[in-house]
Amino acid sequence: MLLVTLLLALFYSATLPGFASIDNMLNVARSVSILGILSLGLGLVVISRGLDLSQIAAMAVSTAIVVQMVAHGTPLPVALALGAAVALAIGIANGVLIAFVEIPALFTTLASGFLIYGVARVTVLDGFISYVAKEQTGFLFIGQGTVLGIPMPILVFMLMAVLVHLVLSRTRIGLFIYAHGDNQETARLTGIAVRPLTVLVYSASALIAFLAGLVSAATTASMNTNIINSTLIFDVILVVVLGGISLVGGRGGVLSVVAGAALIGVLLNGMVIMNLDGNLQNIIKGLVLLCAILLDGRLHPRDEETARQGD
Amino acid sequence: MRSTSSSPNALRVAVQALVTSLLGLTASTAAFSQGNTSDELRTAVEGKLKGKTVAWMPTTLGFPLTDKWTQVMRDEAEQMGVKFVVRDPGWKPDSMVQIVNALITEKPDVMIVHNFNVQLLAKQLERAEKAGIHVIQVNMVSNYKTDAYVGANWNQIGRMVGEDVVTQCGKASGKSGKVAVVQGDLTSSASLEQLASFEKAVAADPSIKIVSKQDANWDATKANTITATVLQQHPDLCATFGFWGTMQNGAAQAVKAAGKLDQVKVYASGEGNRQDCSNVKDGLFYKFVNYSAADQARAFMATAGFLLQSGIKPGGIRMASYSRPFWMSKENLDPAMCFDTPKR
Repeated sequence: MLLVTLLLALFYSATLPGFASIDNMLNVARSVSILGILSLGLGLVVISRGLDLSQIAAMAVSTAIVVQMVAHGTPLPVALALGAAVALAIGIANGVLIAFVEIPALFTTLASGFLIYGVARVTVLDGFISYVAKEQTGFLFIGQGTVLGIPMPILVFMLMAVLVHLVLSRTRIGLFIYAHGDNQETARLTGIAVRPLTVLVYSASALIAFLAGLVSAATTASMNTNIINSTLIFDVILVVVLGGISLVGGRGGVLSVVAGAALIGVLLNGMVIMNLDGNLQNIIKGLVLLCAILLDGRLHPRDEETARQGD
Repeated sequence: MRSTSSSPNALRVAVQALVTSLLGLTASTAAFSQGNTSDELRTAVEGKLKGKTVAWMPTTLGFPLTDKWTQVMRDEAEQMGVKFVVRDPGWKPDSMVQIVNALITEKPDVMIVHNFNVQLLAKQLERAEKAGIHVIQVNMVSNYKTDAYVGANWNQIGRMVGEDVVTQCGKASGKSGKVAVVQGDLTSSASLEQLASFEKAVAADPSIKIVSKQDANWDATKANTITATVLQQHPDLCATFGFWGTMQNGAAQAVKAAGKLDQVKVYASGEGNRQDCSNVKDGLFYKFVNYSAADQARAFMATAGFLLQSGIKPGGIRMASYSRPFWMSKENLDPAMCFDTPKR
């Protein structure tokens, strides 16, 4: 996948003036960092052979609550704590339903996404859009600030990438997540507490989504919960799958997510620079993604033996 | 004999005609004399509005624009004494189609629709009219025109901004002449018409160059990403025009993040919610064309009242009532120009 990204980047560099500048590379990275952060969360879930379709709803609702509370005068730390608690509650609820009640992840998170959003709209949220006041400089900094010339969203993405990478590669929990994704039965028989592990993974996904939401809200100084009606969750899944995290679990890592996000970022950025028509952009996006998946399938043929494990 | 017999006949015919026309005259004055006193007028109007239902489907509730509309429409409906029903499709095109189909069956007297794009409901709106429902389209019109369109005159708004951009970025200004457009949904009439008239207006000055006209699908985050990229490619950008304030807020944040609010003039059009005024006040928007949501909502209901009282059959008229747009800038800004989002 990195190869495809590099080829595309080389093609753009040769044909588009201004593409290959450092500033534009930072711009590409900034534009996909929110998608990247979300993909880290979903990556964790998918590696453990799960799926979290409620991620965008969790992000929108927990963030909108923070933005709205702050707008109504609640101190930022209190609002953040409450937002995190909401995200955590969503994650735990998903995990419990999947691990203990044993409803398939696809259905659980599809339903919980609608449920979370609907309940929040009816009970707490004033409307689709909440704005961040310009006085909230600390909050806005995580979306609009720069450190040593690097935009904050990129730094947050990189920081999270390193953190998730360390968890996956250096800790016992990371090892368990891979084991669970490889074969849940075997994982359970070897003494891993698979149910609490599942709850943990979905909680992490929701919390990471909350973080992505905060960065997003700070970038535009507003949160539009209508984002749950967008195709964002499919973009997140695409980044994860394109990067090489197999939907059957147990495979891939943080580098896959970074590669997938880079591909999407480079592709979209080039098309905006070329000022292509929106419909044409969709056609090209579809074609390139299809080619990337084909190429990936050639390079990493499906292993019949392991693909069926645990089914 | 012939002549004598024919002349009384002719006389009789003439008298009959006179009597008939007199009778007709008294009949018609009788009809209008019902409204000759205020009491009679009120009774006549109440008779025409009583028991009538006005159904309203925005693209979604939850935006300041649609929430304000709905609040004012509900108040107006109460004042008129008509039943008011709201159906919220939550921005989902399939729900919009389902709701309009359901309404055709329920047969309200007037249906007021906010079109997601020009194509989606065209067939349904035609069917609704044939089924005997007055159809009013608001702010974003469909390819199929119904009894009435009430809302912004996008052609006028695109021209207003285009002409202002020419003075700010054109040959006389000494600026680069580079302009970016941030469109909403490409198939919405608000995008199509604003773009067409904006392009026509800036074509008057050949030094103006539209360097980007990406669509951000009414989403501030997309507008932000696109604008960051455009600023990267064209550091000497002179202006950006977004087709909706709520979306263009994201573009303005990108201009601000690039530290170019002094150089890049951020234009937007919109309903004048509280944030639009804040953005003008804070210098995030250079200028803003306001078409005033509350005034629009009153016009929606006034048009519904007219159609119900006129006796015109559904589909029997093609009329429009265009909202008056006005400029907001730091110079003339008044908090009263914007509205606060109604509490639910």
